[in-house]
Amino acid sequence: MQKFLLSTAAVLGLTSFAAAQDLAQAENAWFKAGQATIAARLAVQPNTNKARNVILFTADGNGVGTNYAIRLFEGQKLGGLGDDHVQPQEAFPYAALVKTYSTNGQTPDSAPTAAAMNSGVKTKNDLINMPDSVAVGDCAAGLATSMTLFSDIATQLGKSVGVVSTARITHATPAAVYARTVNRDWEDNSSIPEGCAQKDIAAQLFDAMKAGTIDLALGGGRQHFLPETVTDSEGKPGKRTDGRNITEEVKALGGQYVENDVDFMALTLGNNAPILGLFEPSHMKYEQDRSGEPSLAQMTEAAIKSLQSNDNGFYLMVEAGRVDHANHAGNLHRTLVDGVAFNDAIRKALELTSAEDTLIIVTADHEHAISFNGYCGRGSAITGLCMEINEAGVEHTGTPETAADGKPYTVAGYLNGAGSVLVEQADGSFSGTRPADLTNEIAMDPDYLQQALIPMTSETHSGEDVMVFAQGPWAHLFGGTIEQNVIFHVMNYAVNAQ
Amino acid sequence: MHRRPVLLALCAVTAAPWRAVAQDGPIRLRDLYNHDLSFSDLALAHEGKRLSIAGFMAPPLKADSQFYVLTKMPMAVCPFCEPGQAWPDDILAVYERRIVTVFPFNVPIVTRGILELGDHVDPDLGFYSRVRIVEAVTDRA
Ligand SMILES: [Zn+2]
Repeated sequence: MQKFLLSTAAVLGLTSFAAAQDLAQAENAWFKAGQATIAARLAVQPNTNKARNVILFTADGNGVGTNYAIRLFEGQKLGGLGDDHVQPQEAFPYAALVKTYSTNGQTPDSAPTAAAMNSGVKTKNDLINMPDSVAVGDCAAGLATSMTLFSDIATQLGKSVGVVSTARITHATPAAVYARTVNRDWEDNSSIPEGCAQKDIAAQLFDAMKAGTIDLALGGGRQHFLPETVTDSEGKPGKRTDGRNITEEVKALGGQYVENDVDFMALTLGNNAPILGLFEPSHMKYEQDRSGEPSLAQMTEAAIKSLQSNDNGFYLMVEAGRVDHANHAGNLHRTLVDGVAFNDAIRKALELTSAEDTLIIVTADHEHAISFNGYCGRGSAITGLCMEINEAGVEHTGTPETAADGKPYTVAGYLNGAGSVLVEQADGSFSGTRPADLTNEIAMDPDYLQQALIPMTSETHSGEDVMVFAQGPWAHLFGGTIEQNVIFHVMNYAVNAQ
Repeated sequence: MHRRPVLLALCAVTAAPWRAVAQDGPIRLRDLYNHDLSFSDLALAHEGKRLSIAGFMAPPLKADSQFYVLTKMPMAVCPFCEPGQAWPDDILAVYERRIVTVFPFNVPIVTRGILELGDHVDPDLGFYSRVRIVEAVTDRA
């Protein structure tokens, strides 16, 4: 409401605002907030600048449901009831619902979903930047095809490219920024079948750094860059069987290589030499357990400050990779703590860039089998028990709701996974009952697994929609319900717009 | 950035107070470690002593063995995200008095035995551990 634009729409907005004064509820805080939202929407003007920079934020496994849980968790952490909290991306002017299915999966994995965002086409589960005419693992068919990635387009436009993830940097989502593979698991040469000439994902990252299509890569996955005869600074051996030490090869290119938070803080940023940071043998730690490693926000800050030295701009993909892993574990607490770390990274990017020239997109690759119970009163801790609604007030009564079995239940749960109430018995059958002694304190413990129904060793993804939020040049191209590959097309349009 | 006014919350949510280690019950696996994965004072104070520790049994590496790995949370395995899955850093190697009775990976268990600290590589399995319980007896929690 700071400035009213003298457009027809804004005048109409003022007219309806004036008429509202006559309504009995006009002074109600909700009514006023609704009016303020309308005024803010009327003031939104499409940004048709050419995008100098594009930042694609993806929280792996952060669908509509998981995003909702992070909203409440962060809001409650800040001392509120949670529901009314606004995450940074939720204040963006444009959003759309995204359909994440792959060409052969009603439920996708992170390979085809990340490929959709980086190549503009959907493909099959397990494939990264390969057309769906290729069978998974068909080495020859993969080598016979090619795809131009958004990182290639950005490079052709003279931009720098960075990739940041808390997962292994060779894991599906970050790999899709720079690699093409007929199997997402081919992260180092030891998993490539005999006689297959496709390069492993780590080797492809090196090639991209050498070619200048990737300027910065920060994440986990050190094991895929070291030979099995070499141990890293944590005493863990590499997995490569071809003798290559890719970390040394990056240094030989004149690049910087770091393995811990102290050396990370000492990196020289913006000198146009490649930067590789590999902070764990496998995935980086959950934010809950983080020690000796930079945070996602710190990596995002270093990436932007480094890439910003290119006057032609940059493309940066930032992944909160372990929201997905904690969901797989059925451990909502770690899911949400990593979700807050994701929000911190987005806030850092907003601080360091301008909406005038930087298109920021925040999305997820897919959702999980997470679900929510009712009827919980406001302020029920999102990781805790569903508390009774207070008919005389706002915040819950403090008394847990109980199910037909007389036992309390948590706000959130999973449809399947390790938290299943059906437990394997000595005879191999599955049965069980819900524990009677569940308290809010137990449920809110960082190591607690929310109850699940179907027993599985790992909770699954789901095919449910995810959101995309956007601000900056051509962000207004997002709207309605879209296919996931449209994200590439918005980025491509924004950087090439005349 | 935040255009929408935040409605005033009447009361703040009170977080559950951190539960102190129970005096007589089993300790939790995580109580052996500090946040930086160094050994906690509790671990150092109990080195060489008998201790009960609660956790979960990771699926045993070998059948009919006296060895298994205790984890603080059920060891979920994701086929998509974990080829060649790495062990978490905060685990406990357990050497039982007898052949291990296998419990499902998500059933809470308690193991009781003597706490050993320091690097050790299992001669048979090559399994590296920093902390172990030996002469252990394990049962459902
Ligand atoms: Zn996953």
